[in-house]
Amino acid sequence: MIGRLRSQTIETGKFLADWMEDRTGVVTQLEHFLYEPVPKRGAWLYTLGSATLFLITLQFLTGILLLFYYVPTTDHAWNSVYYIMNEAYFGQLIRGIHYWSANFLLAVIGLHMARTFFTGSYKAPREINWIVGVVLLLLVIGLAFTGYLLRWDQDGFWASVVGIKIGSYSPFIGPYVTHFLLGGDVVGPATLARFFAIHVWLLPAMIAPFIGIHLYLLRKHGEFGAEFEYTDRISKLHERQREEGYRQHEFEDDEEYDYDDELDDEGGTTHHRRDGE
Amino acid sequence: MTDVQKDFAQGRAAPAKPKDEEVITEENVFDRPDETMGFFPGQVYKDGVVATLLLIACTVLSYAAPAPLAGPADTASVDYVPRPEWFFFFYEQMLMFFPGYALIAFGAVAIPTVFIVLLFALPWLDRAPVYSPVRRPFVTIVGVLVIFVVLMNMLLAVSRIINFPGQ
Repeated sequence: MIGRLRSQTIETGKFLADWMEDRTGVVTQLEHFLYEPVPKRGAWLYTLGSATLFLITLQFLTGILLLFYYVPTTDHAWNSVYYIMNEAYFGQLIRGIHYWSANFLLAVIGLHMARTFFTGSYKAPREINWIVGVVLLLLVIGLAFTGYLLRWDQDGFWASVVGIKIGSYSPFIGPYVTHFLLGGDVVGPATLARFFAIHVWLLPAMIAPFIGIHLYLLRKHGEFGAEFEYTDRISKLHERQREEGYRQHEFEDDEEYDYDDELDDEGGTTHHRRDGE
Repeated sequence: MTDVQKDFAQGRAAPAKPKDEEVITEENVFDRPDETMGFFPGQVYKDGVVATLLLIACTVLSYAAPAPLAGPADTASVDYVPRPEWFFFFYEQMLMFFPGYALIAFGAVAIPTVFIVLLFALPWLDRAPVYSPVRRPFVTIVGVLVIFVVLMNMLLAVSRIINFPGQ
């Protein structure tokens, strides 16, 4: 009985997998994706990138849940956040994860960048991936900045006032930046609406495709890791180059020898003997 | 371990080229690491451990240290001293070194812009095919200095906040 159930389950599974494979090719893609060879020695270092991805995913999920309650108007913003923290089911957990994973995200991005920097992983052919990474960093900083105002509490409000003030010192574009962010002369309802739109729609919509490019380029060139992933191959290369150097040297020695020989031949004796041979 | 099992363990569907056949040159030396493993399960397991730890930390912290919420914004108050979040501490502290209206644009915008441009240009500023941090000391020292300055600025900001809570 159990044996028959098991074989039936396996057959059904195989049938479903084949069916999906015929229609979409997803099984082959998944195999290709999962069995990609990746460097083994520094594997714990390379979890920083996936940790970043995980934390951004948490941001998206908890952000969507926060939107169930949050009201982006100056009258209700603070009250709705207060309601999330004190009344809503798991509100404290959802906002807590959104807040703490944002803090961890900045720290983990810093570590991920430092790892890439010190191992030289940004070098050819991975330059574009470094640039996409810097763009992602700037987008995350933008998200961190715009998220602070949405609470509409004293801290977030006055910190944003100061931040916008700093932006107004930009040479040439200062007034335009300020006007774009404020939507008026002072921080008010229009500013909250704009920061909400930027934080919830604009920057997430921009960050998603850049994450896609980042991952695509990672898979295209493979994880570089660090030079210690290539120690054996580098030493083999150096050994081969050294051997070739010796051979070159011997060859040059031979040539020198022949040259000397010919010089000696000016004397005549050996030359004639060789001719004779 | 047979060859097929070895290839599977290292994440290769097709058998790898025999190593003695491959001539390692300057061009292909970084094509493939010495030791590889399949992304699944090796790397996925490690990623999962880190993700789980982060999720546990976030969950615990959201009850142990709930996300802060100060009083409602009062646009009329003039003496409230705002604090940026900790990841902007170094930036805020840096502005302290550029006082007055003449210098603030320089400190607030010009220096960060130059820094970001340098960050974008980094792959073309350091192009030599040398990867180990020990073998490119200039880049390593610059990187360590940047991290040092950022951390020191953060410490300065924290000490300022502790010593002068009202400023």
